[in-house]
This record gives sequence, C-alpha cells and structure tokens, in this order.
Amino acid sequence: MCRRGPIIRDASGADKGRVPAAGEQTCYHRQRHPLHFHRFVHSPLIVEIEGLCKTYPGAERRAVDEVDLRIARGRIFGLLGPNGAGKTTLLSMLCGLLRPSGGRMRIDGVETAATTAAMRRRIGLVPQDLALHPSLTAHENLEYFGGVQGLGGGALAKRVAECLAIAGLEGLANRRVETYSGGLKRRLNLVIALIHEPDLLVLDEPTVGIDPQSRRFIHEQLRRLNAAGMTIIYTSHYMEEVEALCDELAIIDHGRIIAQGTVTEVLNRLASSLIQLRLAGGLSAALESELRALPGVTDLQADGHAVRIESDDPLLTLSRVLECVRGRGERVTSASLGAVNLEQVYIALTGASLRDGS
Amino acid sequence: MRPALIALVTSVRKETRIILRDREAFLLLFLMPFVFVLVMSLALQGSFREHSQGARAKLLVINHDDGAIGEKLAEQFRSARHFTTEIRTEQVAPEELEAEVRLGHYKFAIIIPPKTTEQAVKRVAQQLDATVAQVTQQPIAIGLLADPAVHADQRALMMTTLNRALQEVETGILLKQVGEAGKRLVRARQLFPEIPAVRAPDALHTFAEVKDPPYDVTTGLRPPTSVQQGAPSWIVLGMFLLVIPLSVTFIRERQLGTLQRLHSLGVSPWVVMAGKIIPYLVINQIQFGLILLEGMYVLPWLGGDALTLGHTPGALIVVSLATSATAIGFAFLIAVMARTTEQAHVFAPASILILAAIGGVMVPKFVMPVIMQQIAAVSPLSWALEALLDVLVRAGGLREAAPEIGGLLLFAGCCFAVVIVRFRRYFRA
Repeated sequence: MCRRGPIIRDASGADKGRVPAAGEQTCYHRQRHPLHFHRFVHSPLIVEIEGLCKTYPGAERRAVDEVDLRIARGRIFGLLGPNGAGKTTLLSMLCGLLRPSGGRMRIDGVETAATTAAMRRRIGLVPQDLALHPSLTAHENLEYFGGVQGLGGGALAKRVAECLAIAGLEGLANRRVETYSGGLKRRLNLVIALIHEPDLLVLDEPTVGIDPQSRRFIHEQLRRLNAAGMTIIYTSHYMEEVEALCDELAIIDHGRIIAQGTVTEVLNRLASSLIQLRLAGGLSAALESELRALPGVTDLQADGHAVRIESDDPLLTLSRVLECVRGRGERVTSASLGAVNLEQVYIALTGASLRDGS
Repeated sequence: MRPALIALVTSVRKETRIILRDREAFLLLFLMPFVFVLVMSLALQGSFREHSQGARAKLLVINHDDGAIGEKLAEQFRSARHFTTEIRTEQVAPEELEAEVRLGHYKFAIIIPPKTTEQAVKRVAQQLDATVAQVTQQPIAIGLLADPAVHADQRALMMTTLNRALQEVETGILLKQVGEAGKRLVRARQLFPEIPAVRAPDALHTFAEVKDPPYDVTTGLRPPTSVQQGAPSWIVLGMFLLVIPLSVTFIRERQLGTLQRLHSLGVSPWVVMAGKIIPYLVINQIQFGLILLEGMYVLPWLGGDALTLGHTPGALIVVSLATSATAIGFAFLIAVMARTTEQAHVFAPASILILAAIGGVMVPKFVMPVIMQQIAAVSPLSWALEALLDVLVRAGGLREAAPEIGGLLLFAGCCFAVVIVRFRRYFRA
C-alpha cells in the first residue's frame, strides 16, 4: 500500500520511469506540492545506484568511483567514511546538488541521470552546516522553507506546527534563531528538511558539536520518523551512533564502497578475519616487515602497542604471528580474534592514518 | 494563490524581514545618505571650492565679428589654461546653442555679436571726440551662457576672465586711438595753436559688463543652488550603498548553506533572485523619495536652499529605477564573484567609493584633469549622476537623460547576464 495520500489513476501520464518489476506497484500520487502530478514506481528499493562516478574538473582522481548502492524503503542506512572519502559528493549527487560524471541512479524506481527538481522535493536534506536564517525565528524559518516550495495557507501553518512539535521547539518558536543553543539549532536544522514531508531523509553529520541530550533527542525523533515509514540515510563520524541507529551501512573510502550490509554483517565480516594483538614493547620496524611477509596476512595496522592484522585464514595466521613475535624476543600481552565494535572495523578498513580531507 | 506566487511572496517577505532586522544595513541604507545630503548641502552652500590645476572647462566661442576684437578675444580664451576652447564663426540658432550648453556639451558659450570691432572703435572714437556732443553708440553686449550644472565659483571665474579680457581689448582700442589722435593734434596745433585738447572720458564702457548667465534663457530661471547641484551626487552614492548589504547577505546565505538547501528542495533560482531584487528595489525607491523630500522640506527648515524637482518629475522615476537596477546588478555581480563575506565587505565599499570618485560624485568632473574626465565616462555612477543632473538641474526630461539611462540599463543587463550564468551553473551543478 502507498503511504502517501489519495491515489489518482492517470493513464495519460508520461512514462519517465522504468517498467515495474514483479512485486512492484505503479502509483500515481498527487504530490504534496500542488504544482505537480508526478508519476513514480513504488519500488521496494528507494535508492538504487549503479556505477556512479564523479570527477571534479581538474582533479586527478575520481571523488566517487563506480559506486553501487541499494537502499531499501523504510530503512535507516548509515554511510561511513573518513574525511575526503566521497560521502558528501555521493549525497550531493543523490540530492541533485551535483551532476554525476557517469553511472545510473534510480530514486524510488524512477531512473534519472541527475536528480530533477520534482525528485528533489521527495528528498529532505539535513546539511552538516546550520543552513538557517539566524535573524529569523524558528517559525519564520519553517514558514520560509515551506513557502518557497509553494506551500501556503492552512497547509503550511499545519506543517510548521507539526515540525515545531517534532523538534520540541513550540515554546521557542518566536525567538530568533541566533539566540538558540547549538542543540536547538541542530533540531531546527533537522525539521526544516521535513517541512515538505519527504520520503527520503538524508542527514549529513546531524549531531556534530551538540550535547548528549540533544543527540539522544534527535535519535529518538529519527526512530519515530523511520517507524512512520520514512527512509533515512545517515552519515556520521560517531561509530556508536551508526551502530545503534542504522539497520544497514556502507563504508566508503577513496570514492569506493569497501563494505556494505547490515551492521551485523559488516561486523561479522571482519570479525572472522581480524587478529588483534598487544605487544609489551610495541612494534619495531623489523618485526612489522616480518609480520607483513607472513603467508595469510592481507593487511597490518599498528597504533602504539596495539596491532591489527587482517587475514584470509585468521587461526593459522595467529599461530604464525605468535611464533614470529616470540622468535623476535617480543612479549604478547593479549591476543584476540574478531572485531569488537564498528569503530574497529572502520579503522581496519580505512586505516589509522590521518586524512586531510582533500 | 498560485504556488509560484506563494514562493515569490515568501521569498520577498523573508528578505524584507532580514533587511529590517539588520540594524547596520538599515543605518547604511537610510541614515547615511540622509545625513550625507544634509551635511554636504549645508556645508557647501555658497562656498567656493579649490580648483585643481589641471581642470579645464569646455568653452564654445561663437565669433560673429569680422574684425580684430573677435579674433583677439577668441585667441585669449584659446590660450587660457582653464578652458578647452572651440571657436565657431558660422551662424548658430540661439535655441540650438542654448540646448547644447544646457545639456552640458559645453560648460560655457561666449557669443561675440557681428560688427563688434566696428562698433567698439566707433564708440571709443565718439567718446574721445570733443566735438561730439552725445555718444550715440551703445555699449556692446557680449553674450555668455553657462551649463546649469556648473557651480557658482566656476561661473564667477568665467565672468572675471571675460570681463578682464574685454577691458584689455577696450584699453587697446583706447591707446591706439589716443595715440593716433595725439599725432593728429600735434600736427594740427602747428597750424592752428588755438585747437582745444582731447576730451578725457571718465569711463569708456565700450562693452556692457558680463553678468552671471541666466540658468535658462527662455524661462529666465535663477541659477541652480548648491543643494540642487549637490543633491544628485549624494542621491547616487546613497542608492549605490545598497551594494554592500545585498552582496554580503547573498554571500552569507551561500556560506550558511541556505542557498544549497533551496537548491536541494528544487526551488527555482528565479524565485531566489526575485526574492532579493524586489525588496532592494523597493528600498532603493524609498531611499530616493526620502532624499528628495529631505531636500525639499528638511533643508529649507534648517536654513538651506530647497531642492526642486525640475520640469519633468516623472523622468526622475525612470532614472531612479535604472539606477536601482544598476546598483542591484552590480551587487549581485560582486556576490557571485566574491568567495567570502570578508571579500565582499572590502570590495563592495571600495569599488563604490572608487567609481564614485572617478564618476564625479565626490568631486565635480569639471574640476578634474582632462584624463580623469575621460576616465569618468566608464563609471556607472557618473551616468546615474548625469541623468539626475539632466532632470534636476538642466531642466531636461527623459529624452535628455535617455543616453545615460540606456547606459545604466545596459550595464545592469551585463551584470545580470554574468550573474545568471554563474547562478545557473551553481543551481545546475
């Protein structure tokens, strides 16, 4: 069943989408935006991306490189990656802020080279920056972002009131935003993206620089919105947030998706291939090169006394590693197999070195 | 209401709210020009300004005299360092000549009537001749016309120069005639010792004194006041000050990410632009109206001269709209070119001040060196100023101000063309 409003059957509508696959439903919704009657295919996948690329003019390498991504309707999807990995570029293409250099995108079943204005109205973007007018009140900000999309009168007033309630800002609605705390501004930044009732909410690090209470409040609201059927794409550098909030996730680095699946799948994938050691005297250069040369070792990361080794055959590799360490006269204080949390997976996949974000 | 109209109204309302809540911008847009007009008009009232060494006013000498006096006068002005002199000997219709001067093509015109030399010689001879009972030859009236936009001090300089030149010519004629008469007298006394001496006239008055030229030969209006001449400059400067808040707010919104957010929502760039243009256009018109009202009512109340709206006040509306369009276009141009608000904060006021200075807003163009007067032609503030002078000072209308209005609109069009290209590129990603 369609979630959105009354269905209007319209046989004369221009076919801009694909032929629906088995199990899919073709729906003709009267858009909330009264300007458009837009046909779309009610696909179980709200986002389908194939071979998506983006090369900035003058850049030597692609910012986004042959990315494939499928996001199911009604899920909370986490997108992780270090600075400069290509997250924002990917989200920008999805939201129609950037034109892809290549590849295909389908938003709710409608194939599009670049996200069109009508498609954009079905996506709510919560940018990392506080994209608000500081000298306006929360009420005026919501009224403005609703009004410029053609919403007016009672419908706009109703949506503004609903959004203020979601953000818990009813009592502060008539105060100028410049007088708000960081947490209040973040909440308003979130609900402005909801004013037009999007199907897909894209959040780019929405909890940066706020206190744990505000973060918790935002998470609760996101869960509620998701429970009501909204699909959410969430990027963050806080691994525990993504682990607790998201059903699925993808890790992107150097413009490529390097891991994708449910949180458990991603954790298990690495859990079965990761060896973690603590060395009493740290990792010397000679020992590191010896360990790297061992059969079965695919990657090695060192952080002080901690050493993480990826392997195709962790059990056999562990015995070789321990033998090698002992042979060098070094003492192992602890050793374990498998990942403990998402952050360890993330570090294992993307490396521990600093990124300049370029 | 149609959704597109709702979007436009919402955009305009938001921009208006932001402007009204930005106290600094509000002061910049309204208080500064208001105080400027008040202070500058009162301070400069009746004052004389220093003239730059290189300043040369454009002068037209119509020499209808076929004798030595016309030639000598023309030669004196041709070599005068304050003037760039053009000499014509052919007949020019008085209306045509007056229009050329009134529209500022020449700052001054001197008309030397036909038979000036003959009449001057005759008048001096009559005055020297003791046998002539009454001098019948009337003083010769040398005509002078001045561009209404020329300040009083420049007119005074012109009159002094002209009167001095005429005195020199008169003295020359007198000396020549006295010398000749003296020789004749010596010869005559040798034959007839009882011949009386030559009459020594008290004053010759060969030429009528040249007075302050009338503002308008046909209507006989009095010369424009310093308020009338100064107000257009401050009006133009005041109107162009909106470049600062408009460009800065635009860049701030780009930095805050609200423009990107609008883009992500599929809002038309036209709505975004119109949402900014309309309130600033209205504000500019209010500013313009307030400055005119200030000149008309506040300045006389403080003891200054009153501003009058010229012969065609309707033309002022067109000039004002064209000036606003240019200022807004320029503001948008800065907004799309500057990367940060800091850049706009520096570049916007600096560019306005430079364009104002070279455009004759700070210092009248006619006191600038020739090279600077040529450079002034590239400043849109100069075009706006000349258009206002055409209407407020030179009693012109739309036809007279049309070249400047055309220039302003062309400049605004070019600015908007660049802005639209950049803006569409931004919105199309």
